Amino acid sequence: MRSLNSASRSDSPPAANGVESQPSTAELEDRATRDGSSRRSFFFLGALAASALLPGKARAQVRARQRTPVDREQPKSDGFLTVPQNERVAAFAEWDTATTSRLVRRVTLGVTPAEVAKATQLGWQGYLNYQLNYQRINDDAVEATIAAKWPLMSQTSDQLFNADAGQVQTQLRESTLYRAAFSQRQLYQRMVEFWTDHFNQDIDKVGYLYVADLRDVIRKNALGYFPTLLRASAHSPSMMLYLDQTASRKGAPNQNYAREIMELHTLGVDGGYTQDDVAELSRVLTGWSFQAPGTFVFNAGSHDTGNKTVMGQTITGITGANGINEGEAMLNFLVSHPNTARFIATKMLKWLLDPNPTEEQISTVASAYKATGGDIKAMIRVILNDTWLPAAPMKLKRPFHFVASALRSTNPAIVSITPVNNQLVNLGQQLFSWDTPDGFPDKMEYWAGNIVPRWSFGTTMSTQNSTTTVQVDTAPYRAGSPAAAVDLLDQNFFGGEMPLVTRNGLLAYAGTATLTDAKARELIALAISANAFQWY
Amino acid sequence: MDDQHEADCGCQEYNELSRRQFVGAAAGLSAMAVFPDWLPKIVMAKNYASNRDIIVSVFMRGGADGLSLCVPFADANYYASRTTIAIPRPDSTSANKGINLDNFFMFPQAMLGLVPAYTGADLLIVHAAGQTNNSRSHFDAQRYMEVGKPVDPALVTGWLGRHLASIPPIKIDAPLRALGISNGLQKTLVGAPKTLPIADPANYSIGGSGTTQAARLAFMKGDYASADEPVHSAALDATNTVDLLKSVAFSTYKPANSAVYPNSSFGRALKSVATLIKADVGIEAAQVDVGGWDTHSGQDPIAGSMFRTMQDFANSLGAFYADVITTGYSVTVVAFSEFGRNVRENGSAGTDHGRASALFAMGKGIAGGRVLVKNWPGLAKENLDSGQDLKVTIDYRDVLSEIVQNRLGNTNLGFIFPTWTPTMLGVTR
Repeated sequence: MRSLNSASRSDSPPAANGVESQPSTAELEDRATRDGSSRRSFFFLGALAASALLPGKARAQVRARQRTPVDREQPKSDGFLTVPQNERVAAFAEWDTATTSRLVRRVTLGVTPAEVAKATQLGWQGYLNYQLNYQRINDDAVEATIAAKWPLMSQTSDQLFNADAGQVQTQLRESTLYRAAFSQRQLYQRMVEFWTDHFNQDIDKVGYLYVADLRDVIRKNALGYFPTLLRASAHSPSMMLYLDQTASRKGAPNQNYAREIMELHTLGVDGGYTQDDVAELSRVLTGWSFQAPGTFVFNAGSHDTGNKTVMGQTITGITGANGINEGEAMLNFLVSHPNTARFIATKMLKWLLDPNPTEEQISTVASAYKATGGDIKAMIRVILNDTWLPAAPMKLKRPFHFVASALRSTNPAIVSITPVNNQLVNLGQQLFSWDTPDGFPDKMEYWAGNIVPRWSFGTTMSTQNSTTTVQVDTAPYRAGSPAAAVDLLDQNFFGGEMPLVTRNGLLAYAGTATLTDAKARELIALAISANAFQWY
Repeated sequence: MDDQHEADCGCQEYNELSRRQFVGAAAGLSAMAVFPDWLPKIVMAKNYASNRDIIVSVFMRGGADGLSLCVPFADANYYASRTTIAIPRPDSTSANKGINLDNFFMFPQAMLGLVPAYTGADLLIVHAAGQTNNSRSHFDAQRYMEVGKPVDPALVTGWLGRHLASIPPIKIDAPLRALGISNGLQKTLVGAPKTLPIADPANYSIGGSGTTQAARLAFMKGDYASADEPVHSAALDATNTVDLLKSVAFSTYKPANSAVYPNSSFGRALKSVATLIKADVGIEAAQVDVGGWDTHSGQDPIAGSMFRTMQDFANSLGAFYADVITTGYSVTVVAFSEFGRNVRENGSAGTDHGRASALFAMGKGIAGGRVLVKNWPGLAKENLDSGQDLKVTIDYRDVLSEIVQNRLGNTNLGFIFPTWTPTMLGVTR
């Protein structure tokens, strides 16, 4: 397309007021200085003042934070002060990043005193093994609650076909939030969340079919082998419907699934395929569909039996029921491709470790993929080591993660989780309603401004006081002095590593008088709203 | 900043023009007396020292079929390629016939809501528009357009974000200069100072007791004072914006000219933006998204999903036109998509990802009432991109550059669209 660009330039001379009228660099820098000086000096003085109060090691960390490049924006020479975008936010000085609490923060949906104690007892590797071998963790209580409260979730698509569509959606969302918050298998739940986004679908389009997809594709394989997971997804009626595979047939292929299986599910957008490869793969996959209510089928009559070439692979057309083997062969090709190993490795690193993983990290994890045939556990073992994670930046919790954290930290009595689940709409992450196949963003720049809804949620969560829905008990916070209440908040919400600024703020707000129920709830709301509670 | 502001914006009279026009039209009484109750918030425009337009930027997410939005009915290849989803010619007898625009292009009936803006010469359609990069990935293509430059991983801010960062505020003490009607900040706005994603400006509150709200917000200010960017700026802007939006009477807002916004997410978003513009709180940019364009199957622009998507688009923008543009507010609207769709329909009565689409620009400062093309490539197969798609002959940055410079008063185009040398096409008046 370069030719178009140059052609349009040659059509007419550059505009008189375009590039030529730029202010001089000096002028721009002058402007930027006036805009930015107060904030920068504020940062500097704030960090200086804070670091004076900290022990030596923490001071070093504060200094390290200051050295962290925060502005990757280009071109810098223009001198304008865009709000810096920073995907490498160093951990709070109060977080002892070398200890297991760091690992707990990263593999759970929120620190709790019990989880921190368990990790301390098991040590880094022991706790990681414990979470990875999730099937050995007894989760019967949570699953029994889910079976009782949300019975549709154990039904087959044939059964769900006749269920109320609204009930299916509600039960799917509420049970997912409940399980994420209260399952003992926390790392597993984090990976369920990851693969749910990786193979994202819109429940408004796929309806009841999504229940089976999430249960039998995602949850079944979240800590299994990626090739198995990918194949299961490619045979999922829900996915067939979501990406229009059902509408693709010989002579009139639909490219939607063929594109996304390469772009989003395996190779990645830079994975080496072309538009022609998309078109050819869509021919290979003609006939892949499903039969209502919810059975995968290969319709040989709809299959294009001609020969195809996808990424240099020649696929000889096969007639009859064996025509499905063309697609199966392509799935094998895709999961074995080195670019898939890299793409999955990079995405898992971004999820579990660092939004900007290094080349060394990517190639190391991709090697683990290749060496183990896509063993997700093996890749996690490589990612969450006690060298990389302590040095990794913090990540901003997405709303779902944030709400699950608040549930874990408040640990309320729950009869119906509806009022809490409903808050995910205001927070911008109503489950299964991100309508494009890329899944909810995991980018700080996207979520950072979404902050008043979080503060509002803090109020809503803390004031839950109903015996028929959700009840947060403030008695433990009112049992002692206001200062003791702040200590308890530290344990329950911050893993015992509450930043000093938050402690001072909460102490000031708490005052010295015995806490009322209302004030205790406000303190809980502030803890949920605090900066440190947004990160992991 | 004060000096800069005064020097840049010496057009006090112009700024108050819309308000005075309104005053004159309403009753000719003193300004304080004539603003009716339905105006959300009345502040005298003493700080509103700018002749720059407010911009409302609309991203049509999903790859909108420009050949259905603005149909080249005079090109026979359109009907040959669209055997089941074509719109009948304006001179046909069909009830679903298109609305003739210029004897070459037509609107489908779904776009009826934008006809007044077109005949009022305030709506410009730029056709065969798009981006130079030929990605057919939604996500890459959206990113490139929003960033304002293709394939540059180091450039993380959006074009509108850089516009706002390189020009003084329209209203010097505005707590909020721009917003995205969204749960998360759209890439277009990333980097903008005093800018937040606000999904529903009418319900922007931290809840709880009114008597303790100030103290709780003070806690937030202290707690986030040492936060890292971009959270730091967002939190501090948020604390100031809570009070700002509380002062705007969204619920009683009454659009001018009996305009009716559809009760859709896009319609509600534009209504909120209109409310904020009229409240004169200093908002100078809004980014709004409208989805539903990824029409791989069952497109049906006459009665089906594409019809409803286009109708919602046109009726929402049409309401905004009647409510805001025709009443003297200096606002420019742009709307575009990451790419268009294949010329030939697929086997599912839909269309797969293509290249060029149609771009919309609307406002009193837009040279509208026409369909702007440059070397219209046509739909003959030999003229198609990759043999299947309408070629891009107008880069969207040429349109935006002209609007940014002439309507938004920002000449720092090299910062906003790095490495792009714009060709001014006469988009603005």
